[in-house]
Amino acid sequence: MYFYIILEKGLVRNMLQFELKKIFLKPVNKVLLVLLLVITLIGSFLAIRDVKYYRGDEPVLSGPLAARQLKKEQKKWEGPVTEDVLRRVIQENQAINASAETEDIGFAQKQGFADLQDLICAAFSEPGEYEPYLCDTISPDKAAKLYERRISRLKKEVSEVEEGRTGAFSQKQQDFLIHQYESLETPLYYEYAEGWKALLDSQYLPTLMIITIVIIGFFVSGIFSDEFQTRADAIFFSTKFGRNKAIFAKIKAGFLTITVLYWFVMLLFSAVILGVLGIGGAGCMIQINYSNWESMYNVTYFQEWLICMFGGYIGNLFILTFAMFVSAKSRSAVLSIAIPFVLSCVPMFLGRVPMLTDFMSYFPDMLLRINKFIGDFVFCEIGGKVFGIYSALVPCYLVLSFGLLPVMYYCYKKR
Amino acid sequence: MELKITNLTKEFGDFTAVNDLSITMRNGVYGLLGVNGAGKTTLMRMLCTLLRPTNGTITCDGKEIFAMDGEYRKILGYLPQDFGFYPDFTVQDYLLYIAAIKAVCPAVAKKRVKDLLEKVGLSKAAHKKMKKLSGGMKRRAGIAQAMLNNPNILILDEPTAGLDPNERIRFRNLISELAEDRLVLLSTHIVSDVEYIANEILLMKDGALVHRGTTEQLVATMTENVWKCYVEKREVPQLIERYKISNLKTDSHGVELRVIAKEKPISDAVLDEPVLEDVFLYYFGERVGEEHAAI
Repeated sequence: MYFYIILEKGLVRNMLQFELKKIFLKPVNKVLLVLLLVITLIGSFLAIRDVKYYRGDEPVLSGPLAARQLKKEQKKWEGPVTEDVLRRVIQENQAINASAETEDIGFAQKQGFADLQDLICAAFSEPGEYEPYLCDTISPDKAAKLYERRISRLKKEVSEVEEGRTGAFSQKQQDFLIHQYESLETPLYYEYAEGWKALLDSQYLPTLMIITIVIIGFFVSGIFSDEFQTRADAIFFSTKFGRNKAIFAKIKAGFLTITVLYWFVMLLFSAVILGVLGIGGAGCMIQINYSNWESMYNVTYFQEWLICMFGGYIGNLFILTFAMFVSAKSRSAVLSIAIPFVLSCVPMFLGRVPMLTDFMSYFPDMLLRINKFIGDFVFCEIGGKVFGIYSALVPCYLVLSFGLLPVMYYCYKKR
Repeated sequence: MELKITNLTKEFGDFTAVNDLSITMRNGVYGLLGVNGAGKTTLMRMLCTLLRPTNGTITCDGKEIFAMDGEYRKILGYLPQDFGFYPDFTVQDYLLYIAAIKAVCPAVAKKRVKDLLEKVGLSKAAHKKMKKLSGGMKRRAGIAQAMLNNPNILILDEPTAGLDPNERIRFRNLISELAEDRLVLLSTHIVSDVEYIANEILLMKDGALVHRGTTEQLVATMTENVWKCYVEKREVPQLIERYKISNLKTDSHGVELRVIAKEKPISDAVLDEPVLEDVFLYYFGERVGEEHAAI
């Protein structure tokens, strides 16, 4: 009995190896694998290149050289962003304005505290607007009230939006938002975090996630349908394990392919960017960056990275598992190849139609763009409790992904 | 080993591919003969559990094969008519994979693959990709995969289709060699294949079993004679219209015909010994079943 179990385990491992071989021996998949690697490296390069350091009248530095200079400048402002620091930002800004020969030189001299300036601008501009020169006119004492302003502005904003209109908030949502805002520990801590900003605040991450899904779609879409397209199905289904363990091996091969390729791409992308720009700032709250100033998620950069990566993985897993399911059900690789593209791109465009925005926020593509929505107020309400949309989407699509596996198995078994 | 088919029927919409067929088979080689569309492939696919019958049962040593599930498929080897494979696998990898899904343990599989590759003459092509093999080599790989689990029941659907004469002879010999101590069901419309190797021939027409027996027994069921005659070319169309012609050989002087008829087709025709091909023509005519060739 024990021998038989070991033997079966060996056979299952064997089947899995051959299923993976079937996927990775395909010439088109070899090309796609290289393409994915190249795209990942190009994406990392572009994200790194977006870090800029301005030197007044001299040419702008970009990439690692810029990061080095920024780090040096920002080091002077490292620490908790207290009222005193905020006052100092305004005073320093006004001093530079008075002494700098040109605007460009002045801008270059302000780069050490530009992030803090941006925060003040974001906080004290009118809702929905951003006034870049606000720091030139605001008083140091007013700027020092940054954190109070964040909460008071939110309260004003949410109560002013009429119920029933797009963007309106229910009482529960208002309470949830205010609670989240009040829970943010202040003063925020500031330090150099260009690596995390390049990684998480750019378009490259969601774009790379979509490209990764579409490419992995080619790998997994044939796992089931190829048996029919190569007409190998008759032999496959007439074997002892053809209607049970061999199907498990296919599902496992798909799961492994999705998991390994996704994490390989994402870890490589992150490692290259953070390796070049540095991991400093991992513990800073994301609200320290003005684009996330209004975020209701009180997390650090490192936690945001984990959420983006894990959420992206769940989105990836669901979309590609669904593609495999379509492949098993329809026996068509063409149809299943289209699924990743349709599910990752189409909802993004449909979501721009105001009528569909709320509905589309439940689609799995949202998980691929967490970094873009982490600063927005997207909720869901379950059992009278309000959550940020991602608190619901991640477990929901995780369950759906694993729920699809037995359905896929039985569909293929019954063929 | 006893494979018993009882009142087996398979319908596709309003078309009946296999019609109330009953037969019991034990160890030995069974040749399934019939024109395209006679229902041979449908019958074989049901025997391989790839299709469920509309009616009737198939039992293996008294147990229903669909209920036996994996236990039945464990003792089954199948070479389909349309033999599909994984084009990017080498022959060796392909066979090792099939061995794995046939539950052959890896150590045994390695040895069996080596032996079978030798037996089917593919040892030198073991590391060649499947897509690079010639038609004959692919068929040989096909028979090797069917034999990997040393099956008690071997089902071969048109195994010699598309092979050149040398390959066919080699294949026939191989099947004869493999046929010891097992039940082999061989479907073909190449009459000579079954004539040489089958212990029993099953004639199938319109989904039903018309006759079964050895070549001699089937010849004996013919109620018409076989005539050999020599005619001028211009007479041929008229004779084709009136009789079943099992062979036609043209030379510069005229045409030698082999005619199946009760009476002498022409005055100088002479009686000849009937062979299985004559039986085939006698029962199936020349164009029967073409409309359902894929079934």
